[in-house]
Amino acid sequence: MLQITNLHASVAGKPILKGLNLAVRAGEVHAIMGPNGAGKSTLGYVLAGREGYEVTAGEVLYQGKNLLELAPEERACAGVFLAFQYPVEIPGVNNTYFLRAALNAQRKYRGQALLDSMEFLRLVREKLEVLHISDDLMHRAVNEGFSGGEKKRNEIFQMAVLEPALAVLDETDSGLDIDALKLVAEGVNRLRDPQRSMIVVTHYQRLLDHIVPDFVHVLADGRIVASGGADLAIKLEEQGYTWLERGGIASLQHAAGA
Amino acid sequence: MSLPATATHVRLADNWASSVRAAVPGSGPEWLQVLRDRAAQEFLRGGLPGNKDEAWKYTSLRRLEDLRPELGTGPLTGAGPAWPSPLVTDGGFGFHVHNGRVQGFDGNTPAGVSMMPMEQALRGPDSPLLQRLRSLLEKVEVQGRARAFEALNTALLDHGVLVHVAAGVDAGLCLVQWAQGASPRSGMDNFRLILMLEPGAQLSLVEQYLGLAEPLEEGAAAPTAAHALSLVLQLDLAADSVLDHVMLQNETAQNILLTSSVVHQGAGSSYQFTGFDLGGGLVRHAITCHLAGTGASTTLNGAFLGDGSRHVDYHVCVEHLALDCSSEQFFRGVLGGHSRGVFNGKALIQRGADGSRVRQSNANLLLSGFAEIDTKPELEIYADEVEASHGATVGQLDEQAVFYLRSRGLNEGDARRMLSSAFCCSVTSRLKDAGLAGQINRLLEAAMPKADSLVQEAP
Repeated sequence: MLQITNLHASVAGKPILKGLNLAVRAGEVHAIMGPNGAGKSTLGYVLAGREGYEVTAGEVLYQGKNLLELAPEERACAGVFLAFQYPVEIPGVNNTYFLRAALNAQRKYRGQALLDSMEFLRLVREKLEVLHISDDLMHRAVNEGFSGGEKKRNEIFQMAVLEPALAVLDETDSGLDIDALKLVAEGVNRLRDPQRSMIVVTHYQRLLDHIVPDFVHVLADGRIVASGGADLAIKLEEQGYTWLERGGIASLQHAAGA
Repeated sequence: MSLPATATHVRLADNWASSVRAAVPGSGPEWLQVLRDRAAQEFLRGGLPGNKDEAWKYTSLRRLEDLRPELGTGPLTGAGPAWPSPLVTDGGFGFHVHNGRVQGFDGNTPAGVSMMPMEQALRGPDSPLLQRLRSLLEKVEVQGRARAFEALNTALLDHGVLVHVAAGVDAGLCLVQWAQGASPRSGMDNFRLILMLEPGAQLSLVEQYLGLAEPLEEGAAAPTAAHALSLVLQLDLAADSVLDHVMLQNETAQNILLTSSVVHQGAGSSYQFTGFDLGGGLVRHAITCHLAGTGASTTLNGAFLGDGSRHVDYHVCVEHLALDCSSEQFFRGVLGGHSRGVFNGKALIQRGADGSRVRQSNANLLLSGFAEIDTKPELEIYADEVEASHGATVGQLDEQAVFYLRSRGLNEGDARRMLSSAFCCSVTSRLKDAGLAGQINRLLEAAMPKADSLVQEAP
């Protein structure tokens, strides 16, 4: 699904990612944890194609193709989805209208028939029900005046409608209280699928109590410095990232090969 | 004080002088002749305004040079063929105009409403209505070069329409369709529209301006020439009357549209204007409102789009003359290509107009490095108790939002178009008719300046 090799990326001339390697197979959920400034969000933006995030070396293959040469919208149409840490408010653009335009743009790209407003509404109702989201959300402008929890749920809702093959969730848990966190996690779990891969970027282990990953990676100073199973997250939560710096890495069985 | 004339306006004035002298209609009652002659003299004395005149500083009339100074081109055909209407409305009454001539009156005027050609109204028998018409006509200021088009319009006063709504009558929808062009001859037409609302009357006025790019007559080979329409609207709102005025302008890029609205408001009356400028080569709207009765209110809203080398200018002045009046000016501009927008909004609070509330807001989006906006909100206050706010902004699209939309699959052009039309939603949301708002939103989105204007090279 996704093969990242020796990825180096800079923002405003400052190197952030410094030789990152990661392989994600279809259906796998990978968690990426790490201290502030490690490059977690940068990885999400580089994969989504945000301007200003310059790849200086390395390669990203997605479904066998060079992801880095695609425009952001081409990546989306090819099935890459980034759930933003800070979803952007767009006053004046109705959520339903926006999402239908996005879905139809993707369907057009893939040579599928466009959905008319009735068909789209049916799809939306179905997804809203599954995710326990009120349809009030659909009548409002995109993210405008949404609470932190509503914004994050709207991201997961968009993901449910767009049905990506690879979803990158950038700190989807930040700013959420326990109840909202559970709702978001439940939404994500419902979207787990043998054909869908996910990269869950987070600071804290608590999200991983609800979204149990297949693999956990620790990102520090622009590199994956440790990889393990779900138990690695628990260890990190107990010991803190400083434990890694004090030599904890050496004690791990699956040290990443950077 | 006479200002030094620019070369352009001297040339224009020379060209126009003989045409104007020849075009002043010679028929009608004596008072009308006096009115026309006085206005003609004013126009000939001042000529056309130039960039030394403050009110015309940012709006050049150079494009008028391309027109032959022919006044009154008239329509090509006798009976006006229907042209496609961009807006679909339910019922109502109204009229349609082609190149400055009424082509037909439409629908049935409801009881309590009279609608007649201006030519007929001007020559009517002496009556309170005629007295009122005459007094309104004489109220239009024609002195000074800045008012050259009001002067010219008055000098040539003949064609137009008068709509009168009796006291307490809800007249419903009045639909006015203006079509310009489709004639091989270029020229400039003048028209006067007068609405009189008696106490407690209500009217919803929807105007559509359309540029016709193709000749109306089948088989006509001649290309359509540039056309100019100069329109003076006089809106007379008696006490407690309500006028909801919607204007949708979609002229061709070669056409010129100059409108001047003069609004007089009595106590407790309410006027709302919501304008949408999607097209036009050179467009100028002057709106002057006089809030003369206690508790009158005015809301002026507008969204204007510029692309290519188009020019759109709003000159607005709201004068508070009585107690407890409120007014708002709310304008949004989206400019791409090499287009230029002008917003000059003034609120003038006269001595004694205490309890006035004034709000002004003009925000603009520049989609291209070559587009330009000149915005100037002005407050002039002589009263003691006034609540006033004003603001103007100029900005670009939020690149984070562009990326957000693209990350969901929309291409860059569609993302930018969606965001720039969303910028105008704050104007459409002010329309009272949600169905109309939906239609206008779609037209706005389709007319948004294109994203490729961002990468246009300098000429």
